[in-house]
Amino acid sequence: MNGKKSFGGGGGRGKAAAGQQGKDAQRRPMFRRRKVCKFCSDKIDDINYKDVRMLMPFVPERAKVLPRRISGTCALHQRKLRTAIMRARQLALIPYTTE
Amino acid sequence: MTRKYELVYVVSPEATDQQVADLHTQIDAIVQRIGGQIEKTDNWGRRKLAYEIGPHKEGTYVLEVINGGGELLKEIDRRLKVIDLVIRHLIVRVDEEQGVVERTRARRTDTSRRRRVARGLPPERQPGEGQRGDVDDDRDDRFDLGEELR
Repeated sequence: MNGKKSFGGGGGRGKAAAGQQGKDAQRRPMFRRRKVCKFCSDKIDDINYKDVRMLMPFVPERAKVLPRRISGTCALHQRKLRTAIMRARQLALIPYTTE
Repeated sequence: MTRKYELVYVVSPEATDQQVADLHTQIDAIVQRIGGQIEKTDNWGRRKLAYEIGPHKEGTYVLEVINGGGELLKEIDRRLKVIDLVIRHLIVRVDEEQGVVERTRARRTDTSRRRRVARGLPPERQPGEGQRGDVDDDRDDRFDLGEELR
């Protein structure tokens, strides 16, 4: 399903570059890297609200929680991450918002 | 029924060390009275707050790990709400979560050992042996590219 999607996207973009189809096809296999969950690959079981250093990469500038589709975090860990961030926010370890 | 809780409270930056210590003794007194026990106390010292709370920009953070029942923590919660010196506090139950973490960790080492033995390797990972970690990916910008394809 995912492969199909990226094909469609490639087609949409390919309109302008229709002439370079050969090049496009060559590039597609390495187009997007498969995202992996950081917590699964690093084997971090305990997502803790006290460890601000660990949470900060998932709280970008605007202080929102980084969505799963960008970070690639798996559902289980995203859920744990969310509670950890919300707890850390209550204690003013992480901002709710900037400005 | 005894459970394990973590209590973190943020004390106003104007409080002296003595006042912070007093607060600890107060909590200890409640814990003693209702029948519990403080497992660990950790003073993180003064930290900058991520956002201003009233007039404060800094605060002294103290973590206490408490064993006890729900009633005890309810009482502590009530007391902390009343004390003006404490500008924020958070109580979290941790025993269940810790159990889950330990179990997954144990299961993981167990399976990895079993597999290693099945492959005819020693059960523990040898130093200098590893399949990953050294392949650092420097094309990390691809990460953000996915969105426009949605």
